[in-house]
Amino acid sequence: MAYEAQFYPGATSVAENRRKHMSGKVEKLREISDDDLTIILGHRVPGTDYPSTHPPLAEMGEPECSIREMVEPTDGAKAGDRIRYVQFVDSMYNAPSTPYFRSYNAAINFRGVDPGTLSGRQVVEARERDMEELAKFQLETEMTCPALACLRGASVHGHSLRLQEDGVMFDMLERVRLENGTIIVQKDQVGRPIDKKVDLGKPMSDEEAAKRTTIYRVDNVPYREDKEVLEWVHRVFEQRTMYGYKPAVQE
Amino acid sequence: METSASDTKKPIQIEIFPKRMIKPDTVEGLLNKICSLEGIQRAFIQGPRLPTKVPFGPAVGTPVHHPLRTNVHFGKTEMGLEVLVGRITLELAGKEVMEDINAICEDTLPCGYDIREGRFIQTRQTVSDYAKRGPTADPALYGLYDPKSKIESQVNLLRTNEKE
Repeated sequence: MAYEAQFYPGATSVAENRRKHMSGKVEKLREISDDDLTIILGHRVPGTDYPSTHPPLAEMGEPECSIREMVEPTDGAKAGDRIRYVQFVDSMYNAPSTPYFRSYNAAINFRGVDPGTLSGRQVVEARERDMEELAKFQLETEMTCPALACLRGASVHGHSLRLQEDGVMFDMLERVRLENGTIIVQKDQVGRPIDKKVDLGKPMSDEEAAKRTTIYRVDNVPYREDKEVLEWVHRVFEQRTMYGYKPAVQE
Repeated sequence: METSASDTKKPIQIEIFPKRMIKPDTVEGLLNKICSLEGIQRAFIQGPRLPTKVPFGPAVGTPVHHPLRTNVHFGKTEMGLEVLVGRITLELAGKEVMEDINAICEDTLPCGYDIREGRFIQTRQTVSDYAKRGPTADPALYGLYDPKSKIESQVNLLRTNEKE
């Protein structure tokens, strides 16, 4: 029988969503064109070629190396793209994803990415086209609610504040705005105004966000209600502290 | 048994804490109704600042034009709102108006809210206040503005209009 990876314990909706984010089996909710994505990332002008830092690998004449033969380079590495970043910020008020689960999603499902996890933001560095592939995946799927998550290269502090009256996560640079019931992006990641407004679609309702979130909260699914998760967390802590991650010693 | 400020004739302080950050229009409506009540001595609004320019990062210096950074009117006084309001602290002469304030919040705020009684605005000078304002400072202004800024930019005296 083929081994099927198990990602996260627990029987609650939050645990189920965490498993979905880690495995990458998430529902696609919206469509964002390549040009729109390029505009909001703000690294290059839409429609232009990817700038490169070195010639394509095929032209470089790589040294003989068994590892290089075994590992297929990513498309960005093959073409010699620059390293660029995408940074997500997720509200603590039932945003679908969190920095840790964005990182798990990136590290498990994508190659050649370098996820960085911080308390309020999550950054992924990768070759430009690989980074765009990941950013598009995370933006288009249920991992992102346009009102509760945002691409922010700078000034991320709205994630821990209460939501605005209209239900959008606070942003002092106002990169996104609620217009006629849909979320419009009007500035790029770092707060530069963009020429074209990008429509990210309707925000999730409060009920839908509560259903799709990966955040345990006392006002939604409390952490202590998920007995299986607690049991496994206790087990990991015990084995780490008592046995230095050597379960055999426990016997 | 300890005596709290509400049992004495001393002013009491309350904090209105909405479940969401409120828009300038709502702030204007709420504070205008509250200011029309008798016995409101001082009001203090707090929230995250809305900058005029991007303060850091690659786009530093780019104008922000945040639509929530706007002017609001209290009676005849116009005030520039530089924050998105997250909490409102009031100093009351007595507890009698608490029910009215609760009713106003119920009518005006589109979301839930908490009202707490406690000590939220300074009642005496700190050392840095003393260094900045000196021994003859107006006690009504304690804690209402940052000693590093100018009083005119952060404090609005509605009673000036009444005298006019």
